[in-house]
Amino acid sequence: MTTVATARQTRKRGAKGRGLAAVPRIVSMVVLTVLVLGPLYWVTISAFKGREEIIRSVPTFWPETFTLSNFEQLFTSTEYPVFLTNSLIVGVATTIVTVVISLAAAYGLYRLKVPGSGKIAGIVLLSYMIPGTLLIVPLYRTLSGLGLIDSYAGLVLVNVAFTAPFCTWLLRGFILAVPRDIDEAAAIDGAGPTRTMLQIVLPLLVPGIATVSVYAFVFSWTEFVFASQFIVSDSLQTLPIGLSAIIGQYTVNWGLVMAGTLFTLLPTVVLFIFVGRYFVGGLIAGATK
Amino acid sequence: MSNSVTSRPAALANSRQRRPGAAAPSARRQPLSERLLGYGLIAPIVIVMAVVIVFPVVNAVVTSFQDQRVIGSPSDFVGFDTYAKILGDNAFWEALGRSGIWLVANMAVQTVLAFATALLLQRRGWWSRTARTWIVLPWVIPTVAVAVIWQWLLNSNYGIVHQLLGGIGIDIGSPFGDSAVAFFAVILVNSWHWFPLSAVVIYGALSTVPGEVLEAAKVDGAGAWRTFWAVTFPILAPVLFALGLVGSLWSFNVLDTIYLITGGGPVDSTTTMPVYVYDTAFSAFRSSQAAAASVLTVIVLAAAALLFVRFARPKED
Repeated sequence: MTTVATARQTRKRGAKGRGLAAVPRIVSMVVLTVLVLGPLYWVTISAFKGREEIIRSVPTFWPETFTLSNFEQLFTSTEYPVFLTNSLIVGVATTIVTVVISLAAAYGLYRLKVPGSGKIAGIVLLSYMIPGTLLIVPLYRTLSGLGLIDSYAGLVLVNVAFTAPFCTWLLRGFILAVPRDIDEAAAIDGAGPTRTMLQIVLPLLVPGIATVSVYAFVFSWTEFVFASQFIVSDSLQTLPIGLSAIIGQYTVNWGLVMAGTLFTLLPTVVLFIFVGRYFVGGLIAGATK
Repeated sequence: MSNSVTSRPAALANSRQRRPGAAAPSARRQPLSERLLGYGLIAPIVIVMAVVIVFPVVNAVVTSFQDQRVIGSPSDFVGFDTYAKILGDNAFWEALGRSGIWLVANMAVQTVLAFATALLLQRRGWWSRTARTWIVLPWVIPTVAVAVIWQWLLNSNYGIVHQLLGGIGIDIGSPFGDSAVAFFAVILVNSWHWFPLSAVVIYGALSTVPGEVLEAAKVDGAGAWRTFWAVTFPILAPVLFALGLVGSLWSFNVLDTIYLITGGGPVDSTTTMPVYVYDTAFSAFRSSQAAAASVLTVIVLAAAALLFVRFARPKED
């Protein structure tokens, strides 16, 4: 009884002190909002400003003359559409291959648990920890030995090697959440292991597949280091390299550069809005295991 | 968003409790067809990792004992000569030192930002609810976009930050072009890019701290500080440990942010180890030196990681 009373008292005192105590909190909220959303807002409105307005010494916080000319120029007089297409091709291919490979691996390692699974899973995760820096030089040689330098396939292969281990690990949580009793029920109904996997467990993993797809696509969409060395021809370059080349050519035309930037970041943002929560949930589940 | 973020770990916890009861079929009883299927399913990832990771790593070690210049050109075995050359190269040590500063500064800035953010995300109210969705944006957008955005914001002629600070009499000059501040400017940009990941993970871990325990601690008269160290921190420890280990490795390996903003300059002031290796291989065409530097770096990293695991791993009870 007394403890309840004290607790109530403390709470009341807390409520009274809220006025002043809230100041640092509200200040940090404002700072954080400006820090995170401010730059994105500024890029967005910059892309819609005219050539003269964007370099004015007194900045306008909303475009005076709302123009699409930056986007027009981006798509008609630069190579941007080519880079965009390349990024889409590599991104989609990376996603499909990653999903197939990591789903298969996760099912074998965490569901069927064949003898040696624990060790194999450990080695795969460990090799993922090896710094990419170490690999740039020898990987170039390996790919040229396979005839995969300057090709979509080479880039997809490298991307997959960097997405698949993490995705396998992400899928672990989703697979463990599917009750094993389902297997027995399926076995009683006469389903073999392959049918159980494809027709019964797989449909339950859709959120996991969505998470992994987004991770793989975003990785490939963002990847710079390998694409910059393993792709030689301009006509095969992906967006990160293409965009930085455009910046080099059009340094003074910031509106154009901002339009290109906006289009480059938009797909990742849109995808994340759809499946971000699964992704974050999977990350947390993995980290708090 | 908040719901799924909190419910996932819970769901996982349930499935874990169930696991011992419904243990995996033992090796003896697992039917052959299932085992074959299992190995067949695991094979592709093993093959990909062997081709893209394991084989090249072996290759890197071999190359580091040769005197190769342009990648793939003919070369002879020279033993530890290349290593001797690297160890006598000032640029290598400077890059390693810069990487050390880079790692510590990035982790410090990001941890502080992430913790503060996580505490704010945990509160009730519309700000926290909406922030849980948009807080991740800096992390989701491509690095090339991050690089361009900050170059635009900090542009010394037309950049908004420059204009706003100029309005109150502060001249920041051109942060990425000034060798005295470029390194710290890039560290801040990289932290902006990565802190949401830690923030969201810490937020998720914070929400696994049972409310009743916190309430009980309060009733017992423990202050906020003591409650944090006695109740919250032990629950967060495993997550912070994982985050510290993986985050440090990721941070150390960052190449694109630096390369896209400053290219390692001005006057090498932002040349960390990955930039040094990249330039040595692809600008200076000294494959063997690049390989030797990578091997040495991996040894240093592995040693540091082992020490970290040895001394920072939370005790399991």
